Amino acid sequence: MNLPPFLRGAPTVARQEFLGNLKSVRMIMMVSLLSLVVVGGTYGLTAGGGFSGLPALVAWPHPAFAENGSHVAVVWVSSPFGAPLNGIEVEFSEPRGPTSAEVIGRASTNATGFVRLDVGNRTAVSVSARWGTSETGTSISFFPPSTNFTFAQDVGDLDDDGWVDDLGLHVLDLEGYPIDSPRPRLILNGTYVKDMDARGYGLVRLPEFTGTVNVTIQVAGEEEVLQLPVLEDPFSSFFGGPDLTLYLISSFMAFIGPIFAIVITFDAVSKEKVQGTLDLLLSRPVSRTGVLIGKFLGVFGAVAFPLTLVNLAALGVLGATSGESPTGSFAAAFLGYSLLLVALYVLIQLVFSSLAKTSGTAVLFGVLVWLLFNILYTVLTTMIGLAIPDAAARHEFGRYSALGSPSAIYSSLVSLAYPGELGAIFGGGTTLGGDVLGAAAVVWFIGLFALALWTFHKKAAE
Amino acid sequence: MIEVEGLTKVYGGSKGAKALDDVSFTVPEGGIFGFLGPNGAGKTTTIRVLATVLSPTAGTIRIGGHDLVDDPMAVKEKLGLMPDEVLFYPTLTGRQHLLYYASFYGIPRAEAKARATKYLDQFGLADARDKKVKAYSHGMRKRLALAQCLLHDPEVLIMDEPANGLDPQGMRYFRDLIRFLNKDGKTIFLSSHMLSEVEQLCERVGIIDRGRMVAVDSIQALSARLSAGAPTVLHVVAAGVTDEMVRALAAIPGVESAHRTETGVDVTARAGTDVSSEVSRSLVLAGAQLHGLHQEQRSLEDLFLTLTKGGAT
Repeated sequence: MNLPPFLRGAPTVARQEFLGNLKSVRMIMMVSLLSLVVVGGTYGLTAGGGFSGLPALVAWPHPAFAENGSHVAVVWVSSPFGAPLNGIEVEFSEPRGPTSAEVIGRASTNATGFVRLDVGNRTAVSVSARWGTSETGTSISFFPPSTNFTFAQDVGDLDDDGWVDDLGLHVLDLEGYPIDSPRPRLILNGTYVKDMDARGYGLVRLPEFTGTVNVTIQVAGEEEVLQLPVLEDPFSSFFGGPDLTLYLISSFMAFIGPIFAIVITFDAVSKEKVQGTLDLLLSRPVSRTGVLIGKFLGVFGAVAFPLTLVNLAALGVLGATSGESPTGSFAAAFLGYSLLLVALYVLIQLVFSSLAKTSGTAVLFGVLVWLLFNILYTVLTTMIGLAIPDAAARHEFGRYSALGSPSAIYSSLVSLAYPGELGAIFGGGTTLGGDVLGAAAVVWFIGLFALALWTFHKKAAE
Repeated sequence: MIEVEGLTKVYGGSKGAKALDDVSFTVPEGGIFGFLGPNGAGKTTTIRVLATVLSPTAGTIRIGGHDLVDDPMAVKEKLGLMPDEVLFYPTLTGRQHLLYYASFYGIPRAEAKARATKYLDQFGLADARDKKVKAYSHGMRKRLALAQCLLHDPEVLIMDEPANGLDPQGMRYFRDLIRFLNKDGKTIFLSSHMLSEVEQLCERVGIIDRGRMVAVDSIQALSARLSAGAPTVLHVVAAGVTDEMVRALAAIPGVESAHRTETGVDVTARAGTDVSSEVSRSLVLAGAQLHGLHQEQRSLEDLFLTLTKGGAT
C-alpha cells in the first residue's frame, strides 16, 4: 500500500501502539475499573433501588387521653422498617405562631421506642425526634376521638422496587398503648393481610400500580378506612426508565473516560524518549506527522475498543436487568460521544507526553490535566461567573462556559441527545444548540490535533 | 558517503544555545570516520542530525548523494543508526523488535523473519531471541542495537559509542565486526571516546570541541601537522651499537643529539628533517645489526588533548 509521504510510518506505529497497549497491565487494570464503574453502575441503577430517599428514623405521633382528661402526647420512634429505637431524644413544644414554639418538655424513648408526655389541656403539640444529626418532626392534634384507637401512617419505598408502596401503620388505643387481644387487623382492598405486632406496628405492601387502594384498620369491631395513592418512587434511579439510567451512566463516563484515556496515553511519547527508542523510530523512513497520527490511532484504538465493549455490555445489562432498552439514537449518541470524549483526552495527553522529558513529568501532567478539566475548570468558571457583576453577562458566561472543557462538552452533547426533559436534580441540560456544541467539539479536536502535531514536531526529539 | 558543510544547530529558537557551529567534514564512500570530542562538545547532536532525528538550523548535509533536508526519506533508507544507549521496548522480544523495525522498510514479512533470525544468530542472541528485552544484559542490548542497525542493509552506519560498557572480548568483537562491515562496503561514522579504538579503526578523524570542528584529517596528517616545528625522534632498534657509532650519528647533518637505549639508539633531528637513511647507513657500515627504525609520531591521545585544550572525552 502506497501511503502519501506525510503518512509514512503511521500504520506500523499505530499497530504497535494498539497491540502494545492492549496487552499492558495498566490496560487490564483500567478495563477492570471501567467495567466496575460503568457495567456495575448500570446494574446497580437498574436492578437496585438507586438513591434511597428513606429517613434515618420515623416518629409515629399519637394523641392519647388520660383518665383525668389530660392530653398525653405519645410518640413511638422507629427505623423506617419498624424497628423500635431506644434512647432517642424527643422534644415537645407548643406552637406560638407560624415560626416560633415554646419547648414544653424533653424525654428519651424507652426500650420499646415509646415516649410519653402529659401536655395538660394543650390541643396541638409539635414533636421533634433527633438521632445523631438526623432529625424528624411531626405534630399531634388532640381532637375528640371518633374511634377507640389512634393510628399513624408512613408510606415509602422500603424495598427499593421503584414504587412508593410500602405502608407502615402504627395503632394504639386512646390511652396510648398497643392493643393486644385481639390485635388490630389490616385489610387491603377487602382482603385480610395481617395483625399488628406487639408494639402496634404493621407493614403492608400495596399493589404496584398507579392508583388508589383501600386499607382498613379493624380494632374490636371498629374500623378506619384509608384511601391511599400508590406512586412511583421519585428517588428510584430507574423510575425515569432506561434513558435516564443511561444518562446517569454517561455522567460516570465523563469521570472515568478521561482517566482511562490519560492512563493509557500519558507516556506514549515520553517513554520512547526514556527508552531511547524515539531516535531509532525517527531515523526510520517515517514522517513525524505519520508517527504522531500512528500514535494517536494506536492509543485511541486501544482505548476505544475496550471502552465500546464495556459500554455495549452496560447497554446489555441495562436491557437484560430492566427488560427495557434505551432509545436507539440516545444509546448511539452515548457510544459515539464517549469515543469523542476519550479521543480529545488522548490528544491532550499526546501534547503533554511530547513535552515531558521523563516518566515522572508525564505522570504529573496526566494528573494535572484530569484535575484541570474535571474539577478545577468547574471551580474556576463558577468563581469567574460570580465575579461578573452584570447579571446578563454572567448568565451568558454560564451558558457558554461548557465549551471550554472537553468533559463539559461531552456532558452537554449527551444531555442534548437525551430524548426527554432532564429534571433539575440530575443537573442536566444545556441551553446551547447541537450546532454550537458540535462546532466546539470539532474545533477542540482539530485544535488539539494541530497542537499535538506541532509539539511532536518541535519538542519531542529535542 | 557523508558530506557535511556548515552544519549549525541552535536549540530553542534563534536566541537558544548553539550546539553546533559551522561543522564541516566529509566521509568518503567505504571509509571509517572517527568522531571525537569531549563531553558536551556536540557529538550526540551531530549524530542526531545525521540520523534525521534533529533538523539542522543551517548547513548542508548529503548522505549517499541525497540532501538530508530536501529528501530525508531517501537519506533514511540509506542509513542505519546505532545509538549509544537504547533500552528498547521492555515487553517486546529481540525478534519482535527486529520485525517491527523491518516493517518500516517494506521488507516482506518472510524476508524480515529470515533476516531477524540471521542477525540474532550472528550476534549471539539466538537463545534470547524470544525473551523480552527487559531481561537482556547491557551487552545483549548492544548486540540487538547492532542487529537493528544492519537489518535493512544500509549503506551508511552511524554508530555512537558501539563498544561503550563492553568487556574486553566484547570490545574486540565489535572492533572486528566494524572492520568486517567496512570491508563489506559500508561507510561508517564512528563516534567513540575510546581513542585506542578509533586509532585502530579509522583512517580519518574529526575532533569537535564546543560545537566547532577543530580538526578533520587522517591521524597521520594531523600528527604531522601538529608535530611541525617539533624535533623528529627516530627510535632505532639495533644490536652491537658502540659509543663510537653514537658519536658518528650525532655528527650527521641535521641531527641534534643521539643517545643509546636498551634496544639500540634514539636519534633526535631538527624539525622537518628526515635523517633515517643516513642513520641506517651509518650504523650498518659501522657493523651494527639493524633490526628496525621508526619515526616517533604523536599519539591520537596527544592530538586530542592538544586540540581540545585538555578536555576529557
